[in-house]
Amino acid sequence: MSGGHVKLESLTKRFDEVTAVDEISVEIQPGEFFSLLGPSGCGKTTTLRMVAGFEPPTSGQVQLDGIDVGNWPPHRRNVNTVFQSYALFPFLTVAENVAFGMKYKAVPKSERETRVGEALELVQLSGFEKRRPNQLSGGQQQRVALARALVLRPSVLLLDEPLGALDAKLRRTLQVELGALQEHVGITFLYVTHDQEEALTMSDRLAVMNHGKIAQLGTPEEVYNEPADAYVADFLGVSNLMDARVEPGGNGQGECHVRLGDFILKAEAGQLNATGAVKLAIRPERVQLHSYEASGTNRVPGMVERLVFLGSTTQIFLRLANGSALQTLVRNDGVDLPFSQGTPVSVSLPAEALRVLPDPGVSVAEIRDETLGEDLLDVTSTITS
Amino acid sequence: MASTVGQPTVAPSRAEPVVQRQRRLPGGNPWRRPWGMEGFTWLYIIWSILPIAIAILFSFNKGASQATWQGFSTKWYIGKQVTSVLHNPGLHHAVIQTLVLAVLTTVICVPIGVAFAIGIDRWRSRTSNGLNFLMIFSFVIPELLLAVALFLLVTQALTFIRLGTPAEVAALVVWNISWPAIIVRARLVSIGRSYEEAAADLGASRLGAIRRVLIPLLMPAIFASAVLVFASTVDDFVIVEQLSSTANTQPMSVLIYSNVHGGLSGPALNALATIMLVISLVAALIGFIGYRWMSRGERTKGGAEALTGIAGM
Repeated sequence: MSGGHVKLESLTKRFDEVTAVDEISVEIQPGEFFSLLGPSGCGKTTTLRMVAGFEPPTSGQVQLDGIDVGNWPPHRRNVNTVFQSYALFPFLTVAENVAFGMKYKAVPKSERETRVGEALELVQLSGFEKRRPNQLSGGQQQRVALARALVLRPSVLLLDEPLGALDAKLRRTLQVELGALQEHVGITFLYVTHDQEEALTMSDRLAVMNHGKIAQLGTPEEVYNEPADAYVADFLGVSNLMDARVEPGGNGQGECHVRLGDFILKAEAGQLNATGAVKLAIRPERVQLHSYEASGTNRVPGMVERLVFLGSTTQIFLRLANGSALQTLVRNDGVDLPFSQGTPVSVSLPAEALRVLPDPGVSVAEIRDETLGEDLLDVTSTITS
Repeated sequence: MASTVGQPTVAPSRAEPVVQRQRRLPGGNPWRRPWGMEGFTWLYIIWSILPIAIAILFSFNKGASQATWQGFSTKWYIGKQVTSVLHNPGLHHAVIQTLVLAVLTTVICVPIGVAFAIGIDRWRSRTSNGLNFLMIFSFVIPELLLAVALFLLVTQALTFIRLGTPAEVAALVVWNISWPAIIVRARLVSIGRSYEEAAADLGASRLGAIRRVLIPLLMPAIFASAVLVFASTVDDFVIVEQLSSTANTQPMSVLIYSNVHGGLSGPALNALATIMLVISLVAALIGFIGYRWMSRGERTKGGAEALTGIAGM
């Protein structure tokens, strides 16, 4: 159980013509909860499979505690995987499933039963020893898969979208449990997910991946609050992206002047020394709405296009005078909203919340398509493997 | 019928033309009972089962005729001295020979076929792609051609394989290898690789994963293919006809064939044929029930697979 230091160095995987993972380098500290986040086909699962040993790297290194294990078979690595499909053996009971790997780890027979019991207790499944996997719910199967991997006390636990097959409510509960469990056992977790909420709530650090490369690496706060580019901004929750141009007049340090259609706005976050075409990002919760007549700084006229009631908040879709689409969230505190479909409004985009991001050379719509991802791509990577 | 364009119909009669139009749909009511198809299906079933039923019936004939019913009796099975299946050495030896061939072929053929399927599906290479063709070998090659070729082989070249039981078994194994290969491979494809990967992840070597995880998962398919090989060997005629040597190595099918026109005829042959049919049917039934039992509790029910497998027999 000691160790758990993972270092990926220029790790690359090509399937024929497709480069699934493109020279990524990451260092994961022992005991860290590290997530790889990205849409389907971004290379996150392939990366995990290379750490597990199911795919040999095309080039680069997978170092576990300082040793390059890139070409070792999976059974020789001290890592264990929780699979998206769980892959519980249907012909074995829960206890037999959990005990499966101990035969290879030279655990004395007398100790095996105790360890199975401990592992099942850890995932709150005591009393289910004699059941078969098909007699368990999805959430329970997921816990068995977790127990089966943890019982071997690996130095690194790999989790491949372990909550992907569960419904939203159960996923929330298990997110909290999984985070607590990781703190309890202190093993390095390498977690792969396409769900930004999972990655943000559980990780110590995360890497947002796109096209086989790491788009941004940092703590959840850093990545959410200071996205490095338009792609990361859009992938991490709903972000309002707008096409804009940098205007002269800013000082390139504390502030930057940008032109959005006919309006010049001040921005104080992001790449303030950028020039030419840029993308502007602002979180929905930072956008403020005022009545059309009200005046103030950093305001753009717009119109309410649609209201969506979400329960605690109402999501408002806006169209700005320059044609940009924007969303904002308004808390529902019992008072009727003074807006309805078609209401002209004055939209305030606070300078400190308005982030200037480098232009990736593609339209906002294209970025959005990409971050939505395509499940088909994941299927291809499984087939080629 | 009455309403034409520009002539609005009165309200009460509005429902009527709708009903009329429905009746005039091109193909009629699509939900009506398909009498034509149903009738044809029954005709087909009767046509294929009736002769067999009559043959079975006459194995219970009291008299020696295969055409005139003279009352019920089991004497052609056990009662009659010399000519009943039980008391005629030729006849009951044929039953034993059939069972011996079926068991030996199954025992040898299935493991090889399973290994073949795993090899083709799990170790991808140029060789395995080429060998893929071999899997449908027996569906492509005429059985008689294989039988004659193997006859020449064992009589001219590989003379250490004696004509008779050894040659029969060798040929039946070659002929039936497609069953386990195809059925097991279908299951290999449907179960995917994640279980093997999980086993490897938990510390099992390649062989360990096959032994502890893959084989148990393949058990239903292995069992179903064993039953099919068994039943298909019981039914085989062309190969065993070519490769049997003396009367001692003639199974039921050959004996029936060589006696049906003259020789030892009569209801005893019907009795022999009935026994052959019953062995096949029982094997198929065991196969179906066993497959369902073994694959119980799996999310994807293997019923369809078993059905197609049994039907292919």
